[in-house]
Amino acid sequence: MSKNNLKLPAVEIRELRTNSITGYDGNAKDLVEKAHSTGLKDIERGFQQCAGCSITKAACMTVLIQDAAVIEHGPIGCSTCLHDYNFTYMVNGKLRGVGAPTQRKIFSTNLQEKDTVYGGTRKLEKTIHDVYERTHPNAIFVLSTCASAIIGDDIESVCDAAEDELGIPIVSIVCEGFRTRVWTTGFDAAYHGIARKLIEKSDKRDETKINVINFWGGDRFTDWFAPFGCKPNYITPFSTVNTLKHSGDAAATVLACSTLGSYLANVLETEFGVPEIETAPPYGIAQTDRWFRALGKVLHKEDIAEKVIAEKKEKYIPKIEELREKLKGLKAYVTGGAAHGHALLSVLGELGIEAVGASIFHHDAVFDSKRIENDQLKERVDDFGDVKHYRVCSKQEYELANALGKLKPDILLSRHGGMTLWGAKYGIPSLLVGDEHLSMGYEGILDYGERILDTIENDEFVKNLQKHAINPYTKWWLMQNPDYFFEK
Amino acid sequence: MNESIRQVAIYGKGGIGKSTTTQNLTAGLAESGKKVMVVGCDPKADSTRLLLGTLAQKTVLDTLREEGDDVELSSILKEGFMGTKCVESGGPEPGVGCAGRGIITSIGLLEQQGAYTDDLDYVFYDVLGDVVCGGFAMPMREGKAKEIYIVASGEMMALYAANNISKGIAKYAGKSGVRLGGIICNSRNVDREKDLLRAFSKELGTQLIYFVPRNNIVQRAEINRKTVIEYDPTSTQADEYRQLAKAIDNNDMFTIPTPMTQERLEHILLEYGLMDSLKDYVI
Repeated sequence: MSKNNLKLPAVEIRELRTNSITGYDGNAKDLVEKAHSTGLKDIERGFQQCAGCSITKAACMTVLIQDAAVIEHGPIGCSTCLHDYNFTYMVNGKLRGVGAPTQRKIFSTNLQEKDTVYGGTRKLEKTIHDVYERTHPNAIFVLSTCASAIIGDDIESVCDAAEDELGIPIVSIVCEGFRTRVWTTGFDAAYHGIARKLIEKSDKRDETKINVINFWGGDRFTDWFAPFGCKPNYITPFSTVNTLKHSGDAAATVLACSTLGSYLANVLETEFGVPEIETAPPYGIAQTDRWFRALGKVLHKEDIAEKVIAEKKEKYIPKIEELREKLKGLKAYVTGGAAHGHALLSVLGELGIEAVGASIFHHDAVFDSKRIENDQLKERVDDFGDVKHYRVCSKQEYELANALGKLKPDILLSRHGGMTLWGAKYGIPSLLVGDEHLSMGYEGILDYGERILDTIENDEFVKNLQKHAINPYTKWWLMQNPDYFFEK
Repeated sequence: MNESIRQVAIYGKGGIGKSTTTQNLTAGLAESGKKVMVVGCDPKADSTRLLLGTLAQKTVLDTLREEGDDVELSSILKEGFMGTKCVESGGPEPGVGCAGRGIITSIGLLEQQGAYTDDLDYVFYDVLGDVVCGGFAMPMREGKAKEIYIVASGEMMALYAANNISKGIAKYAGKSGVRLGGIICNSRNVDREKDLLRAFSKELGTQLIYFVPRNNIVQRAEINRKTVIEYDPTSTQADEYRQLAKAIDNNDMFTIPTPMTQERLEHILLEYGLMDSLKDYVI
């Protein structure tokens, strides 16, 4: 059976589709080898702190669509964090040409105990109509929650009926948290709904359009695509319902993050005929070379790709070499999601900084395309060698505090808020960069490398903080191996 | 709630006759002067039909839906045969919402509204056949019911269900103090039924508290929306239910059940559940 069956309301979870796991302790080379030979087996933790939920992943891929509204169908607490994306929209809009960012349209059906007894579908019907009247969006996304899933509310039927009445797409997104331990399934859930209800099939190709599945980083791609005569069609942050509708006629799809776009890129290729570029995202010089060549190949513009590579290398390599000298001998630790964490490990390799270890949130053994060349961690290991002390940590901070405290790197790199504080408490300069495009391409090595240098040179704050910080974990815990609570 | 009120829940396989047995037995208790309340915990809301002589009772959840939280106790609590108080929890329409959560909500509401008055001797919870989810285990889980009786027969699936229900009781016994008071056999006239039920009860660490023989008068009374005691007080079956009521009133054997494995259950069935020949078969 096809793994991306668009007839079904729910996307298959990552545990089944991509053999994804949430715990591992070893080295990167071993993990990559196992992933591509025997497959991976997840672990159980005897102790677990907070982790993530699929709904926030589904939310970030729907809330940031310019002209859509989002309804969380469940108790109001499940939408607690969704306003974060209002902030993201306001702050990053200007990077993407959204000059006057509008308030995000986020609602909750606010299910109460009584609604769980009688069913919440009538309340949902009413909410959809209210949201339509109040905000006149071009599409409404309805995100499911554990409560509405337990009582088995038929969200799909309510959405279909409302769609007929209101004449705009009303998209059911099946993203209740307990379906999966791999919360990135929430991205897939959002894309599944978008692919089912928004994206239109097209016989024609717009040879100037390239889909970019990404988060909310700065716009690198407009400049990169210009020599090829193309423009980026960003999916989904800062897109519109209309641009999403027409992403089925693009010439190709590229990804800013292999794990983020794995499902949608594959659906676009298999269901809509838009080829996915056959390589991992462009982080590190070696990988950026491969990426431009793969782009040239899919666009049948290999000569332009070679020209771009040559020009960019001529411009940036001397500067990168200068920077390498300044960073010589440094050791770094990385924490982040797959696959941006892998990307940073490649950037470190290119800068000549030793990656002493990494705590990455999950690991996909394969991607939906099944292309081994999309595996960013494999490319990192092949290009720059192994990463010892490589961990898959499911965002467990107690494990990070343990591993980081033992390795004492010169710098901690992170893409997620809340993680760098562990570096700071140990007096380790810590760099938080949420814009995953900053470290991308040849220029990204330079931009990100300069941030590293800047962070290391300005360590006064963390050194002071260390003197006053209290480690909340016991000495006993900090002396154990970080995988102590993996059930053997 | 007043600790002296005996809080009883009746469980058993769907269709085994829980509601019929509960109402006939509570009629027996009421006749002997006991003050009894029956709480139906089945979305079908048919647990008090024989006591009330009608099905058209408004359920707790219907009232809650239509009238909001401000529910008048008098609108949901009706008086039936010989002063028995009758309440139906009710539930959402089939295929919608969560009936299990509904039971939790409605029992909570009954407590808030002061339905459990001090003058009661007994509260009976008549729970939907299969304990399909946590909501239906609620009466035993949260100490709403202190003693459980399981209605069973000599049929294998009835015993299988009884064993499973016992697993639930054993699980919650430590926390909520719930105990198994015994097995009530609602006879189906299968082979060596009484021996089988005795052996099964013993294995479960409990007793066969009463064997209710099969009698067509139960069916006739039901069609007339009456308990047997009301329909034909002089019948032998009416006496059987009076005896059952007495057995429960005098019961002092409350145990934590020791559920058995499927293999052991099948072994008991093989040992007791088969007749040597047809001539043993006597109704």
